[in-house]
Amino acid sequence: MIAIDPRDPRTQPESVVAGYVQTGWRWPAQPLTRRAPGPAELSGPRDLSPRLPLVRGDLAGYGDKRAIGQLIHLRTRVVDEDGAPMPGAMVEIWHCNAAGKYIHPNDEHDAPVDPNFYGAARLLTAEDGLIELRTIKPAAYPVPGTGGWWRPPHVHFSVWGRVWLSRLVTQMFFPGEPLNEHDAILNAVRDPEARSRCIARLVPKENVLVYEYQLVVRGRKASPGMP
Amino acid sequence: MKRLIPTAEMTLGPFFPREFAAGANDLTQLAGQPVEGEVIEVTGTVTQLDGKPLDNLVLEIWQADSRGRYDNPAFLGWGRAATDANGVYFFKTVKPGGRAPSINFLLLYSGLMRQLQTVMHFEPGNHPESLVAKKEGPNRYRFDIRLRGEGETPFFED
Repeated sequence: MIAIDPRDPRTQPESVVAGYVQTGWRWPAQPLTRRAPGPAELSGPRDLSPRLPLVRGDLAGYGDKRAIGQLIHLRTRVVDEDGAPMPGAMVEIWHCNAAGKYIHPNDEHDAPVDPNFYGAARLLTAEDGLIELRTIKPAAYPVPGTGGWWRPPHVHFSVWGRVWLSRLVTQMFFPGEPLNEHDAILNAVRDPEARSRCIARLVPKENVLVYEYQLVVRGRKASPGMP
Repeated sequence: MKRLIPTAEMTLGPFFPREFAAGANDLTQLAGQPVEGEVIEVTGTVTQLDGKPLDNLVLEIWQADSRGRYDNPAFLGWGRAATDANGVYFFKTVKPGGRAPSINFLLLYSGLMRQLQTVMHFEPGNHPESLVAKKEGPNRYRFDIRLRGEGETPFFED
């Protein structure tokens, strides 16, 4: 059986954020209703692959198809609140190119498209809860219409745990980026430790650019693994 | 054992890949086989504070099968849709069974710092009237969602 506990709000972002005007248009004005999780919340899809096919295990490409930008590896582990690895967890990853441009048609930022970069991958974690993605480092970019807010380089993650309430959508940041100190999204997380856990760690003692990152999905006693 | 703290959620942002948002809103088939149950359509419009419809907002649903089971391997009760430029989403599914049938909704979008949770019900009961879908036809249900402002949809925290 899986237990889901209420979260400490300090470890989660504030809902309406100064400098991010859309939050005030979209987050409910009424307080959220507390709900005791029931069978619908404590169950979830076992195998999403019939509905969400796996795509692109590598975003950097090779040879003529190599994307422009600094080659990096993202080594991400998915665990539950017990720290138990989650094998077979589906993970979606998307990020902008080395010029700060997304593949999305709504991205109007004045930056070049890289024909060899399609920044979207969908993978399953291995037995040890790990996925490793070879890609290029995304760039920082200005957010249109904000009068000077630049997003620091970041990578979007979407992951499923064992139950409906384990769903996690978040963003990963890179260490040592000056813009991290000012980002309205990262700094909406009040607890400095919770914030620092959103920043990947450059693996020491390896002569390659491997970034380690851990995603903790809600739920405890959820091990061993997904069926 | 030391407990880990769940990772902070963050906004989906405005550029969730179109490819990811598409092709997952039909729950009536699994591996090419039709699933058991009464086929229904669920649609609605998602709006923000000023009533403006929202484009490319992602909705994920989770529901029981036609007999009220959440663990039927022959039915995948999970789906995803994204709103179009008019703020309209669409799911094709089967009507869930059970004593109080309902469909869980999870919303992800730019400006939503965390996921929003709500529930669509089929019948009035011990829940707000605004969570009951409007029947528009023999097999068609409307569930409009107002994120903020007049007629705001109730959302949940678990």
